[in-house]
Amino acid sequence: MSFTWPPDLYFLIMLSPINTSWRLARLYLRIADWSLIPLYFLMVVALYGAFLYAPTEREMGEVQRIFYFHVGAAWNCFLAFFGVFLGGVAYLITRKRSWDHLAASCVEVGVVFTTMVLTTGPIWARPIWNTWWPWGDPRIMTTMVLWLIYVAYLMLRSSLPEGETKYKYCAVFGIIGFLDVPIVWFSIRWWRTIHPVVITSSGAELEPEMIHALFVSVIAMTVLCVTLVMLRMAMRLNSSMAEELTHS
Amino acid sequence: MNPIALTWVLVGKDLKIEYRSRQAYLTTVFFALLILVIFNFAFDPGSPATREAAPGILWVALLFPGIIRLNRSFQVEMEEGTLYGLILSPADRGVLFLGKFLANWLFLMVVDLLVLLAFVIVYNFSFSIQLLWIALLIVLSALGFSAVGTLLGAMVSTIRTREVLLPVLLFPIILPIILPAVSGTQEILLAQEIQSLGRSVELLLAFDVIYLAAGFVLFDYVVAD
Repeated sequence: MSFTWPPDLYFLIMLSPINTSWRLARLYLRIADWSLIPLYFLMVVALYGAFLYAPTEREMGEVQRIFYFHVGAAWNCFLAFFGVFLGGVAYLITRKRSWDHLAASCVEVGVVFTTMVLTTGPIWARPIWNTWWPWGDPRIMTTMVLWLIYVAYLMLRSSLPEGETKYKYCAVFGIIGFLDVPIVWFSIRWWRTIHPVVITSSGAELEPEMIHALFVSVIAMTVLCVTLVMLRMAMRLNSSMAEELTHS
Repeated sequence: MNPIALTWVLVGKDLKIEYRSRQAYLTTVFFALLILVIFNFAFDPGSPATREAAPGILWVALLFPGIIRLNRSFQVEMEEGTLYGLILSPADRGVLFLGKFLANWLFLMVVDLLVLLAFVIVYNFSFSIQLLWIALLIVLSALGFSAVGTLLGAMVSTIRTREVLLPVLLFPIILPIILPAVSGTQEILLAQEIQSLGRSVELLLAFDVIYLAAGFVLFDYVVAD
């Protein structure tokens, strides 16, 4: 059992005698494997909750049901992008490759979830607000800017050759991209907002059944997000090991 | 040498190169002028719609040509391999960043003020004391633009596709500059009275402070070891 300091991802699994890369990759895969069982279950429950259990909204009708998926995806894209920021900072401090694996995997999964948010949003907005894309709303604009920044991150990543420089640059860009989020938010906030604020500090303005459905949906999406990140991290670790083998 | 004197040596060096080659600022100003003219052709020239859109056009003409300058800032260093000389010099990496950033900022301010002059003439606005407020917005946004731009410019300078990559990376990050800058300019040029200009200035200042600090800290990781 080896102890590394400053801590990297090994630290999280210190309880088991894992100290080599292939064991770490196997652990990621095992986490992904084990989360598949609750994931299938949660997905079915979330679908049941969104389409059958939750009552139809009085004014918006059936189209409101997209809300359960929209909110779940939105929460997870912020979670994933926070993972990019965290991975970037930790990589620059520790220079441990596994943090770069985390950041890169989180970007990929985050972009997928953001794309989902930006697709479900207009489908709902067209019948309700009578417009696909209402400009000037802080949430919509922030999400769109996030999407642009992290697609740019993927472009930067693909145009750099493998090596420490690549991981450093990507970490730096992940950090400055994340710093942008609050600024974008405030720069649009003093425009009029039309995005519904469903959950406020004083409580949610929803039927109890709707809250249950939303809750299950958010959990299911979060498990999906973690599973995907773990799969991508295992893939990256495997390919970096294969690279080391071919170059040694 | 103390860090401040070192910074000024770096700034002087960069500006001297630009002044002697003339190529960069002439291309930059000319590109900006072209944007002003193209937008005037794209809309109905002289119509009220063009006047309404003028503040936005001004900012496109200010931000797009800035990319030329940022690309050049590190390209001249790469061509002769002088960047390694800078890195090997006893100057701190933070001083290197400040020197590059200040040179970019000063250069952009001079170019931007020339573009503003041309803009007032081409779009038929009157010269008044209120233009000073636009100049303030320009100074603040050029600061944030060069802070992020210097960091990213150093980053992409070693990449083969840097000319394409720099705008792709830079523009999403500087999007929050455009909103307060354009709405502030709109207010100065078109509104009856000025109300929320303070907010625009505050937002630009916040952006500047955050990205200047981020650039100063992160530049260390970006220049080659």
